[in-house]
Amino acid sequence: MIELRKVTKKFGIKEAISSLSFTINEGEIVGFVGPNGAGKTTTMRLITGLIKPSEGSVRLFDQDPITSRLSILPRLGYLPENNPLPLDMKVQEYLEYISSVKKEMSLDKIVRELNIDDVYEKRMEQLSRGYRQRVGLAAALCGKPDILLLDEPTSGLDPIEQDVIKDLIQKLAKKRSVIFSTHILSEIEDVATRVLIINRGTLLFDGPKPKGKGSVELLFKKLIKKS
Amino acid sequence: MKALYKKEIMQLLNSPVGFTVPIVFAIFLGYLFTKDVFVIGSASMRSFFSVAPWLLFILIPALSMRSISEEKKTNTIEVLLTLPLSESQIVFAKCASIFSIILITLGLTLSIPLVFGLLAKLYLPEILVGYVGLLLLSLSYLSFSLFVSSKINNQIAAFAVSVIVLFLVTTLSSDFLSSILPKSAQDILLFASPILHLENFSKGIIDMRSAIYFIIFTLVFYLLTVKELSKRI
Repeated sequence: MIELRKVTKKFGIKEAISSLSFTINEGEIVGFVGPNGAGKTTTMRLITGLIKPSEGSVRLFDQDPITSRLSILPRLGYLPENNPLPLDMKVQEYLEYISSVKKEMSLDKIVRELNIDDVYEKRMEQLSRGYRQRVGLAAALCGKPDILLLDEPTSGLDPIEQDVIKDLIQKLAKKRSVIFSTHILSEIEDVATRVLIINRGTLLFDGPKPKGKGSVELLFKKLIKKS
Repeated sequence: MKALYKKEIMQLLNSPVGFTVPIVFAIFLGYLFTKDVFVIGSASMRSFFSVAPWLLFILIPALSMRSISEEKKTNTIEVLLTLPLSESQIVFAKCASIFSIILITLGLTLSIPLVFGLLAKLYLPEILVGYVGLLLLSLSYLSFSLFVSSKINNQIAAFAVSVIVLFLVTTLSSDFLSSILPKSAQDILLFASPILHLENFSKGIIDMRSAIYFIIFTLVFYLLTVKELSKRI
């Protein structure tokens, strides 16, 4: 489904991603973990085709996400970092707009699934961070995407809201592949089936989630120390 | 694309700029026209069509300044560019929504010939062609302002740059420039001046060369905006 082959991304002289390779298959819940500035968001943007690699190739469904964007994007749901939303719009207006563009026929079901009925008539600026995150998730879910890319979906949320979003991710992953980036290690333990650990643009670990409580944190700390 | 157009229109009409600027434009234009018309004593709308461009180069950047720059600043551009819409569809929807507000604004000014027509006999085709000229000029200014909005992340800076450039373009045919420049430079500047191309329309003459000038002007900046959105670093 997603294939990155020796991808390097440079911004000027700074190398944000260095020879990154991995493949993500159908039905996987991949936790993409790394400290701040590790290259998680850059990788997400490369997958969505928002930026192009300096070297190497990115393929989604065997196609280039930039040159074939119109055939790929209907199959992709994306929640960007910090969940940018038009604050001057009502939740209903925004979701109806997104669902109309993505040709989603069952918006009501998504709204119910994500429990945003209560705030449906409210303006985005009136919502708590947790609700904004749910709206962003609902927008990403419109069009029944095969791949869901979530860039730090629980960032800035309180522990209760974090649990709500984690439960939602698990629920959503039943029907599609989910890749979510985070720097909160407990999220990986709770949600992911596979872990990618990245630091300074280099992939340090790619494999199934280690078993046992605290094992992801242990592995992460060990690898970061080494790198 | 229809959904994006609808969303853009809704955002424009919900913003203070979207509904106040057109009303202020129509009132101000009406005032500038009527204050002189009885002094001149001529039953013609020509002075209206010669004053309008001097307000359009402020109105249009005001309407289009946030269109793309704000999307870039707030990062909603990432959501927009990951929707299954081509860059050309995005620019077209944004252009169409702002142009709809311009149509409403110019529609408001129709009250001027309607009232004026009660007092004096007006030549209707001349007025209609004049309005066609204003619409073509508006399209040109709009595509330019949208391009500036796509290049600059700050809406106030985008507004300032658009106004300054469009002001300079509008003054290309001014008497001041004609008096200080050599003849060859004058000819080039005069050809590039949108005001000069509008002049024939305001006389009621459909000049195909001028229409083509406005269409090319619009297309060039429209395509540059599409190119800017398609750019991947």
